[in-house]
Amino acid sequence: MNIKEAIKIINRMQTDGVIGRYAIGGAVGATFYLEPVTTLDVDIFVGFRPEPGQLILSLRPIYDYLADRGCPAEGEYVVIAGWPVQFLPPGTPLVEEALNEAIEHDLGGETVRVFSAEHLCAIALQVGRAKDKARLLQFVEAGAIETARFQSILMRHGLTPRWQQFERQFLHDQS
Amino acid sequence: MSFDLQRVLASKRAFRQKLASQPVAEKMRLLDELCERARVIRRASAAAREPGMVAEDPTPYETKRGAGKS
Repeated sequence: MNIKEAIKIINRMQTDGVIGRYAIGGAVGATFYLEPVTTLDVDIFVGFRPEPGQLILSLRPIYDYLADRGCPAEGEYVVIAGWPVQFLPPGTPLVEEALNEAIEHDLGGETVRVFSAEHLCAIALQVGRAKDKARLLQFVEAGAIETARFQSILMRHGLTPRWQQFERQFLHDQS
Repeated sequence: MSFDLQRVLASKRAFRQKLASQPVAEKMRLLDELCERARVIRRASAAAREPGMVAEDPTPYETKRGAGKS
């Protein structure tokens, strides 16, 4: 398994015009800001280009491109350099914004776009599973988010009440 | 070694901070290793799972078929 190699291939796919701008989210994205966390796959959010004459977005160009380069499809994933990778359209305005405002990082000479820490946290809050809340706490504990930027994202996407609830539940001294 | 909980927690926090401050390339290398281990554990635990056991359902970004994950 080699995630750097996987990113190299995804960058090449972008250069070759198969996908538009992309950004990494999920646990792999979080690892750019926190300690590494266990995950089984890579979530790549990507601006899909509808095929001519089709209204439904298709993954076929991505699957075909990667299959030609020895990356097999397995269910919803494509295995790239040993990593199961899932290509996802931005399904909510928040994720759309996260994609547009993703940050470029350098990975040993390879440029990679990753959701900002604040967007990763807002998405975790929106998704709201136990592990998302745990990740959000990790970001808060690590001081890895810029408060003003985070608050403005929450306001834009109607997440302030949810954040207040999260604060009451996990961050306020209950003693 | 100490059994003082506060010291233990502080030590864990310091270790996590040390890991977080590693260069991105090193963290990605660690991620490669963690994923390989997680796969092995998952295969073993999936085989051992019995009906009625509590397991977290995946439900991510409202973009995946049915439900998602992260």
